Amino acid sequence: MKRKACLIEALESDFNSVKTSFEKQVIKKYKDSEKMYRNTIWYKSLLDAEKTSLKEDKIRKIHYKFEDDREMVEEYNIDTHVLLRRSWKVKGKLGCEGKWDVEIGDPIPDGIQSIESTEIMESKDQPIVMRRNTRVNLEWRIRNLPYPIETYCIKGNNEEKCIILSTTNKKYYKKLKIPELTRLGLSIEQANIQSSHKYNTLIIMYKKPQQLLDMEKDWYQELDKVKPVKDIPNECKTQ
Amino acid sequence: MASLAAAQVQEVRSITRIERIGAHSHIRGLGLDDALEPRAVSQGMVGQKMARKAAGVILQMIREGKIAGRAVLLAGQPGTGKTAIAMGLAQALGPDTPFTSMAGSEIYSLEMSKTEALTQAIRKSIGIRIKEESEIIEGEVVEVVVERAAGGGGARTGRLTLKTTDMETNYDMGTKMIDSLLKEKVQAGDVITIDKATGKINKLGRSFARARDYDATGQQARFVQCPEGELQKRKEVVHTVTLHEVDVINSRTHGFLALFSGDTGEIKSEIREQINSKVAEWREEGKAEMIPGVLFIDEAHMLDIECFSFLNRALESESAPVVIMATNRGITRIRGTNYKSPHGIPLDLLDRMIIVPTAPYSAQELKEILNIRCEEEDCQMSNDALTVLTRVATETSLRYAIQLITTASLVAKRRKATEVSMEDVKKVYSLFLDEHRSEQFLKEYQDEFMFSDVSGSGDGPQLMEVSQ
Repeated sequence: MKRKACLIEALESDFNSVKTSFEKQVIKKYKDSEKMYRNTIWYKSLLDAEKTSLKEDKIRKIHYKFEDDREMVEEYNIDTHVLLRRSWKVKGKLGCEGKWDVEIGDPIPDGIQSIESTEIMESKDQPIVMRRNTRVNLEWRIRNLPYPIETYCIKGNNEEKCIILSTTNKKYYKKLKIPELTRLGLSIEQANIQSSHKYNTLIIMYKKPQQLLDMEKDWYQELDKVKPVKDIPNECKTQ
Repeated sequence: MASLAAAQVQEVRSITRIERIGAHSHIRGLGLDDALEPRAVSQGMVGQKMARKAAGVILQMIREGKIAGRAVLLAGQPGTGKTAIAMGLAQALGPDTPFTSMAGSEIYSLEMSKTEALTQAIRKSIGIRIKEESEIIEGEVVEVVVERAAGGGGARTGRLTLKTTDMETNYDMGTKMIDSLLKEKVQAGDVITIDKATGKINKLGRSFARARDYDATGQQARFVQCPEGELQKRKEVVHTVTLHEVDVINSRTHGFLALFSGDTGEIKSEIREQINSKVAEWREEGKAEMIPGVLFIDEAHMLDIECFSFLNRALESESAPVVIMATNRGITRIRGTNYKSPHGIPLDLLDRMIIVPTAPYSAQELKEILNIRCEEEDCQMSNDALTVLTRVATETSLRYAIQLITTASLVAKRRKATEVSMEDVKKVYSLFLDEHRSEQFLKEYQDEFMFSDVSGSGDGPQLMEVSQ
């Protein structure tokens, strides 16, 4: 963590301080603004994380274990290189067994989750937000929203780092976080937001900025270095 | 059809009337003023001034929370208010301080070892105040619908509609959530928060939009704004959990079992050690705060020598609660040994305790207590009836006199009187025997009872006296 901070500081302070040759090299290499993402804490933590790769059917699954003990799983489509799912393991502070919190992709079907175990949950017919990214867009799909397209007001809010979706009939309101942009320190451009409404589903699209596209491409190549696990234990296959 | 409707009414009533009148439900505190001086009659407490003053000092000690692992013994004859003082202490501490109440004999009937039961009880009495981010639903109630599945007796389903100024959502509710909503008497127009993880409901007040509804608003109704934005928010909330709860969450087998049965299973000592070190870590980082609570062991003479020696050790730990024990025994055998000791508690443990004695009540105090109980049991009693009852209390026992209150009021109701008169009390006095008269009766008719042991007829009471 300290080293990362040093790198960023060094970059800003015009290479005045004494550095090892390696660090100089690193900094020069990433100085051009297009590869700025390599200096973000996010990218660094991805690099430093303990990674396990697994190929199954047409999906490549990567498990990350970060230095601060957090765990993340990504699933890529091998053909299109599109990220299908990214989920985080949530651990309770008191140490209860964590569930998986899905950031991108369809929610993981949970057999036990019923009204008896959770006591309160949204009814099945209530709007549900789902992230599903495409190659060029970040996408939010909100199902069960029957109101016509004119009802919605979608605004990018840079102070809160989210897209705010409100409705004129005051039936739905949601702050949509954009972790991808926040991690790279990019701001939200209203011009990049598009939306469409079809089959009771509101789709909000945000055009991926060049930085993000570069980073994703770069990172996918980086992942090739992770050797996939060959033999999968039988029990896991059934899942 | 009519009976069905009646049955439904009965069910509705059973939900709203949860609170029943217990032996100590009239106690609301220790009845002390700000200087911890006992008031003569206050918060349901009468007399016993010295003991209450002592309890006040202990209260202060617990509130400061610095001293761990002290033991207090409440010693006194039966019916002198030992349990009442402990209950008063619990009430005075408030709901935030953990207070565990157990009977000494409880540890024998559990499916775990005695020391495990004691450890769990001790750890239930230590609270941890911890900040945690949790998902909160905050909104104004639009509608609460509870439906009973067809066929009767089936699972209830509930739907709750909440809104903010910007949105509206329907929620499905489980049985427990429905019960707690009904218990909190949540209705349309209330602004509530629900902790999604624990299901805890908190009523913030009534929405301003409903301020003009003249019905159903009490004097203390608080009006609040309807919340804005999203219904579900992540908020940092302060939880108070006990060490035992943290243990349970972290012991996997137990957690799994608890899903089905809700109890038992011993917790491994390694888990406890882990938790202890984790809690110590949190405390150092300022993330958590320890609240030492109170473990109250009633009938402490029922514990045996193993438990006492374990308690000796446990009290020395840094994270020990204040242990309050109550006993009504004099010099008697320590359970599990052949040795005799005051209060049936070994001398080494007694040495570590501060002993608070309770003395028998005076006639005036008994009258006061009976008066309070009459109010609690919702019973109008004439003055001379109360005097008679006080006589009964002094001559037999306070408990017996208290038993006569409701029975007498039922007799009075039978003759459609609004007030219980002396005759009613006399009638129930003749209907129900007290312990002495019952003994007398038995002595007289011993021979006619089954399995009577004529030669041993004189031994029974003597034995009792020895053991006391």
